[in-house]
Amino acid sequence: MLNVTDINVYYGSIHALHDMTFHVNDGEIVSLIGANGAGKSTTLKTISGLLRSRTGDIEFDGHSISRTEPDVIVRQGLTHVPEGRRIFLSMTVEENLDMGAFTVREGKKQALDDVYDRFPRLAERRSQIAGTLSGGEQQMLAMGRALMIRPKMMMLDEPSMGLAPILVSQIMDIIVELNKAGTTILLVEQNARLALKISHRSYVIESGRIVLSDTAENLLNNDQVKKAYLGG
Amino acid sequence: MNLINHLINGIHVGSIYALVALGYNMVYGIVKLINFAHGDIIMAGAYVAFFALDAGLPTVVAVAASVVFCVLLGVVIEKVAYRPLRKSAKISLLITAIGISLLLENVAQKLFSATPRLFPKIISGGFYLGDRQISMTTIVTIVVSAVLMALLTVFVKTTNAGKAMRAVSEDTEAAQLMGINVDNTISMTFAIGSGLAAIAAVLYCCSYPQVYPTMGALFGIKAFIAAVLGGIGSIPGAVVGGLTIGIAEALTKGYLSSTWADAIVFSLLIVTLLLKPSGILGRKVVEKV
Ligand SMILES: Nc1ncnc2c1ncn2[C@@H]1O[C@H](COP(=O)(O)OP(=O)(O)OP(=O)(O)O)[C@@H](O)[C@H]1O
Ligand SMILES: [Mg+2]
Repeated sequence: MLNVTDINVYYGSIHALHDMTFHVNDGEIVSLIGANGAGKSTTLKTISGLLRSRTGDIEFDGHSISRTEPDVIVRQGLTHVPEGRRIFLSMTVEENLDMGAFTVREGKKQALDDVYDRFPRLAERRSQIAGTLSGGEQQMLAMGRALMIRPKMMMLDEPSMGLAPILVSQIMDIIVELNKAGTTILLVEQNARLALKISHRSYVIESGRIVLSDTAENLLNNDQVKKAYLGG
Repeated sequence: MNLINHLINGIHVGSIYALVALGYNMVYGIVKLINFAHGDIIMAGAYVAFFALDAGLPTVVAVAASVVFCVLLGVVIEKVAYRPLRKSAKISLLITAIGISLLLENVAQKLFSATPRLFPKIISGGFYLGDRQISMTTIVTIVVSAVLMALLTVFVKTTNAGKAMRAVSEDTEAAQLMGINVDNTISMTFAIGSGLAAIAAVLYCCSYPQVYPTMGALFGIKAFIAAVLGGIGSIPGAVVGGLTIGIAEALTKGYLSSTWADAIVFSLLIVTLLLKPSGILGRKVVEKV
């Protein structure tokens, strides 16, 4: 589904990603784990076209997208729920969802109903201004908004950030459900335990480099990972 | 002259300020740029309308030519001068805008000389409301402005392009992730702002029939003050700011003297910003964490 080959990304003179290569198979949940500043968000932004790699290639669903504009990538069925949710705070819940469906011509109503089915909380609050939602509701809205295009693949950047544990497990359950319903998932998390629990495979990133990759199960039992990311 | 007349005059000139302020605010809302060249678009629009009328073309054609020219000019300026700098420091963008403004004024000076041209009378007559006479120019100005503002509001609220504008102005990156093409949205914003400026130019010339290279400078500054007063970046703010400045100016001219008008306008701005830094209808900027 997604093949990232040898990408190098810079912020001015800062070399943020080094020769990064990884892939996500159709139907998988793959996670990228790593500490603050490791380059996880940079990786997702490069895939969705907000940043450009100087080298290598990114292939999604059989097409190279490394020179494709972000709005065109969305139309190809790849959606990105950014770090910090980035919902439109001044708009209502429903207006946010409508923005999510910006590229959708047909079946908008059905997509909206599906999102409300999955997130009944959003349905109750459909005319509330998004800026007044709680953190958990904002995360649901960010995910719901990304689901409006019925994506083939969804990238999530730290969906657990700032949420109470009970909400975190709710969000994780929803990610698993979405995956079971056929959406391929690329998940970025600082909370490695959480990510490894629901992923099939995972990549560990340190200072812009992939230093380890394995099945989630193996990584959970890896001493190095235990020590660095799972608190012993 | 009495209060009602002054108010009507104020709404008349205020509507024109509002049309121009809309251009400042739409552009600011979307690229966070104070487009100093916007006032000079008015000048360009005035010259195009003047030459078209001078060549004997019908008013409608002259206005249309002016709109088309300004739309192209605005879009080209954004593409050539502002777009390459979009990711650089804001100050470079601001200085470029000032540069474009000077460029347009000097090109006009070179092409048409500094001598003012007399804009022909295209609206005449008037009618009585009770025993009060209202000129046709005033009526046309107020009605045309009100219709344009209403259309713009509907456009921004209901069309896909309008939605894209709202999304880009609130969060450009998030808008891109919704599948919105930011470049096209920005071009469209400049197009609409410049088109409104062209119509403002013709309406302005109907009341102050002189066309000269720096005519957009002071008028542009006052419309910009209207934009800041109403709330920079806000569409309804531009309308409120424009009308406020227009009425304040008319009242000052009516009851004090013309020489005080500009001083009063600037004082109004300073006092408002002291009381409410984001302007009358401006939203407090939400700090992103
Ligand atoms: N806009 C930027 N300009 C310059 N450097 C940046 C920019 N954004 C990120 N960086 C740098 O790039 C590196 C990777 O940042 P990135 O945001 O991808 O990390 P991350 O893994 O997502 O971290 P976190 O877990 O804190 O979100 C960091 O060293 C960061 O300082
Ligand atoms: Mg990050």
